[in-house]
Amino acid sequence: MRAISLLTLLLSGWSALPAHADEAQNWLTRLGRAEQQQSFQGTFVYERNGSFSTHDIWHRVQKGHVRERLLQLDGSAQEVVRVDGRTQCVSGVLVAGLGNSRESPSRALDPKKLTQFYELAVIGKSRVAGRNAVIVSITPRDQYRFGFELHLDRETALPLKSLLLNDQGQLLERFQFTQLDTSSIPNDRDLQPSGECKPLAGVEGQAPEVEPSEVWHLEWVPPGFQLINSSARKDMQTKVTVESLMYEDGLARFSVFLEPISEVSAPQTRTQIGPTVAVSRRLNTVDGERMVTVVGEIPIGTAERIALSVRSEKTATTQP
Amino acid sequence: MSRDALQESLSAVMDNEADELELRRVLNAFDDAETRDTWSRYQVARAVMHKDLLIPRLDIAAAVSAALADEAVPAKAVRGPWRSLGRLAVAASVTVAVLAGVRLYNQDEIAGAELAQQTQQPVMAGPQVKGPAVLAGYKESSDATGPMANGVLQGQSGWQDQRLPGYLRQHAQESALKGTESALPYARAASLENR
Repeated sequence: MRAISLLTLLLSGWSALPAHADEAQNWLTRLGRAEQQQSFQGTFVYERNGSFSTHDIWHRVQKGHVRERLLQLDGSAQEVVRVDGRTQCVSGVLVAGLGNSRESPSRALDPKKLTQFYELAVIGKSRVAGRNAVIVSITPRDQYRFGFELHLDRETALPLKSLLLNDQGQLLERFQFTQLDTSSIPNDRDLQPSGECKPLAGVEGQAPEVEPSEVWHLEWVPPGFQLINSSARKDMQTKVTVESLMYEDGLARFSVFLEPISEVSAPQTRTQIGPTVAVSRRLNTVDGERMVTVVGEIPIGTAERIALSVRSEKTATTQP
Repeated sequence: MSRDALQESLSAVMDNEADELELRRVLNAFDDAETRDTWSRYQVARAVMHKDLLIPRLDIAAAVSAALADEAVPAKAVRGPWRSLGRLAVAASVTVAVLAGVRLYNQDEIAGAELAQQTQQPVMAGPQVKGPAVLAGYKESSDATGPMANGVLQGQSGWQDQRLPGYLRQHAQESALKGTESALPYARAASLENR
């Protein structure tokens, strides 16, 4: 009997290394489920270079429906209410017509897929918001994306803290709970939007979706990135049609925006705001010049390369 | 195709993200007037963005090259080593110019580096007990050196000022809709509105 337990002990010790990766996968699987199953309320901070803000969150899971309200506590009282992942109302400026893309629901976190492009590992434990946490590192296997360090609640697997790191391990953004309550369920009053929160239905008609005029093709995206959304909208102010494509690798996302430009002065730009980069460059097509803008939580070199790889299908077929 | 690759390498060098091979490719191609032209256009575009013209730095590179060309006459006697030394010097001067340029417009990244240094490798640090250090670093970096303060999204008229905030917002909000992590994209979107 003793020999058997000793043997299992030895075996478990021997298999400890690969188990780390499996353990990390299990934690991420739990994380994916946690927000669908766990009610909570709390306060978190968000920090990136040049900005620091505090927010309250109420999250209720009842009869299979997830209702969530977020409210910024400092500065302007920005607010958003979501039911089952669909935005009901927002305060402040909403991108007109965003509600159109509702047919594609949010995707679940897939740790299996992630392991193709990221190395997952449990690297330790910590304490966040007075709760015990386990640290899961998500390290990219190539230089085309950023890494994460997640501190997941030991009890519920909710993300208590999330750090975004570049390839040199520099911190680009911090998301961290300062207080979290998972025992009491938020009541109706907590989840009730304030008067400032404007329903989505009201603004939807402002930017009618239009047929994309051209088929765009990205000759290069980092391995694993897949198109999850494409749309074309007419901007009410400028009267131009802006086409957008969104890609994700299961964790990171970037958008490509294409709009015709007439201004000769429109310069090519690149900028980085915390974790988010934006790179613009001009593209000549048979229908005139376009401005290609890549926005996303990816290294600026990746964004630049993506921007350079945009081609119009039309041009591709007319040119031998 | 190789032009595209070269342009990518150029931009990688600008980002200080180039690997050995890319740096070599760029340095090799620098004899080509067209490449230098592209490089200077990149620089000027960036310089305009940051309201800081970098053209003098290019002159340094040119001046060094010119000086080396003059030097070449006495160098002929000991051709081999001098030539390679000259090439090295050109390479070095170009690298210096590159680094000088990179330093200037990547100030926010450097500030980020300071922040990261003060937090001492968050990957390995485990429990963070260096609150004050982070705050000190944070304050410094947020002190008008951030990209937002650099005037890309603020105070500049023109295309970026009109379009870029909208694109950033659309990306952030669409991410919030698609995202699996619900609160993080929201917080990103909210932080864009805080200016």
